[in-house]
Amino acid sequence: MTTDFLFADNKKEIRLLHPVIQHRVTDGSEKIVLIKTLAKQKYLQAFVLAGMAYLFVFSYLPLIGITMAFKDYKISMGIQGIFSSDWVGFKYFLEFFNEYGFWKLVRNTVAISLLKLIFSFPIPILFAIMLNEISFMPVKKLVQTCSYLPHFISWVIISGMAFAFFSSSGVINSIALKFHFINEAIPFLTDANRFWSLAVVSDIWKDMGWWAIIFLAAIAGISQEMYEAAEIDGISRLKKIWYITLPSIKGTIIVILILALGKLFGGGLSGSNFEQSYLLGNSMTSEKSDIIQTYVFNVGLAQGRYAYATAVGLIQSVISLILTFGSNFFAKKISGEGLF
Amino acid sequence: MLKRTKEDYVIETVIYLSLLFILFVTVYPFYYVLIISFNEGMDAARGGIYFFPRKLVFENYASFFSDSKWLNGLYISILSTVAGTFLGTFFTTMVAYGISYKDLVFRKFYMTVLIISMYFSGGIIPYYVLLREIHLLNTFWVYVVPGALSIFFVLIGVSFFSQISPSLRESAVIDGANEITVFLKIILPISTPFLATMILFIGVGHWNNWFDSAFFVRKKELRTLSYLTMEVINKSQLGANMSAADAGMRSSKITPLAIQSAAMMISILPVICVYPFLQKYFVKGLMIGSVKE
Repeated sequence: MTTDFLFADNKKEIRLLHPVIQHRVTDGSEKIVLIKTLAKQKYLQAFVLAGMAYLFVFSYLPLIGITMAFKDYKISMGIQGIFSSDWVGFKYFLEFFNEYGFWKLVRNTVAISLLKLIFSFPIPILFAIMLNEISFMPVKKLVQTCSYLPHFISWVIISGMAFAFFSSSGVINSIALKFHFINEAIPFLTDANRFWSLAVVSDIWKDMGWWAIIFLAAIAGISQEMYEAAEIDGISRLKKIWYITLPSIKGTIIVILILALGKLFGGGLSGSNFEQSYLLGNSMTSEKSDIIQTYVFNVGLAQGRYAYATAVGLIQSVISLILTFGSNFFAKKISGEGLF
Repeated sequence: MLKRTKEDYVIETVIYLSLLFILFVTVYPFYYVLIISFNEGMDAARGGIYFFPRKLVFENYASFFSDSKWLNGLYISILSTVAGTFLGTFFTTMVAYGISYKDLVFRKFYMTVLIISMYFSGGIIPYYVLLREIHLLNTFWVYVVPGALSIFFVLIGVSFFSQISPSLRESAVIDGANEITVFLKIILPISTPFLATMILFIGVGHWNNWFDSAFFVRKKELRTLSYLTMEVINKSQLGANMSAADAGMRSSKITPLAIQSAAMMISILPVICVYPFLQKYFVKGLMIGSVKE
């Protein structure tokens, strides 16, 4: 039984933590001790077991469901169908690789994350440095508090705002037309070639303030003595930023950067690519806005090709997982500490 | 304090101007939705409203609150947010508290189970099949039950509770209190920073939820406010300059854009009201995390 293995694993812990038990353990009455300890922690064990039961249903059962990626599964077969249907090997995987839109999907998935990495990543750092440079607290507080409001607003609302501002009759076009900056409305929302910019800009707007919190915390950890010493030497403000602030938060920057690399295939650092593409994209921009995540929804839930969609989703999660663990490995190597 | 140089003034001017710009760009979209929601729909469609409502009316909101579709969406959203946040916070805290106990038998095993489920997921399709098989699809409970345990917050909770002195618990146990009493009467009251952060994130997550409504629910009476807002936004996006002639509108002066703005404001308002009060907790909480790095 698995419990024997677990018990053996836990014995060491019990021994270390309970000198009294350690004495009894050496007597060889391990099982009795275990039962007694368990009885003592019955409520705590019940708390945790309820959580484990929950995880079994909502996290582990879907993992078993992955097998349908390799099977001729139809939703009409019910849950037994996952086990009884015929194996088809990598049929669906090959089907996806030969799919007409395959390269488009991969390109969009990676390009949107990569563009966000290049453009939305440095801005919170710059913003945090600017906030740190001002000494007038009320302004600093006001700007900061307002800056992370968009983080808590849903993409539904943001798509509504995007429509109000960027549509052909929206605020931006109206003003630009009024002052004759342009002669006809720019189709920000319906031109496929503008979708990537729209994704990056909306991402910056939503999460700039949020990511700045981390960098501000890192800046707050810098010893003031360095700045004081620099001040005595008459070092200028810009040089202080360049030679003290930036190098001091380098570790944090690298960790966040590498974690963002890990999310390249998964949906961007803030994990927002699915909602963005689904809500901001439309039939006219699909050439640039369709990503693997939205594709899984369309073929899976809308067209009912469950087994095929599971296979596509699996490819994506496996690549994401490799990138996540890989990038975390490098984060650990470089900074001495990863996130897990 | 040393004398300010010319460079200081230049830098501060640049910074203040940039921050002013950021402030404007962040706040103005919210303000714009607000003024449109208070302007007569037909008039707003003519454009040119940037700072104040031109024809101040309340009929957009009146029409929102007299439409049973919107009222029902609001009701479902409130109900699922309250139920989901309560259940999620309580269950997550309970599990985190249990695991945080250092002498817990099988603790390592429990942690492993937890971390594996954080990184490996079956993906959306097996998840959908599961929800179907346990008969959660098309019920109100699909909003509440699947989100009842937040793995991320269990991990945060474990590190939070580990910082609470074990003697606090032990002395209560010696006095004859059982674990449940200790948890409810001693642990929960001193866990405000953790609870506040979690309530904010879980609560906002439920309030903003359009996803479950779009993919896991077919019954019209179970749609959330967020989903209905998405629907009306998509509709007005399709017919960009759609006029009030749009079917289903009672008054000819109310356009889809006007009612959409009112719905957006109603979705935004609770979030704006809640997060400034909780920000001291989550900013502090995140700071602890990054200082530890």
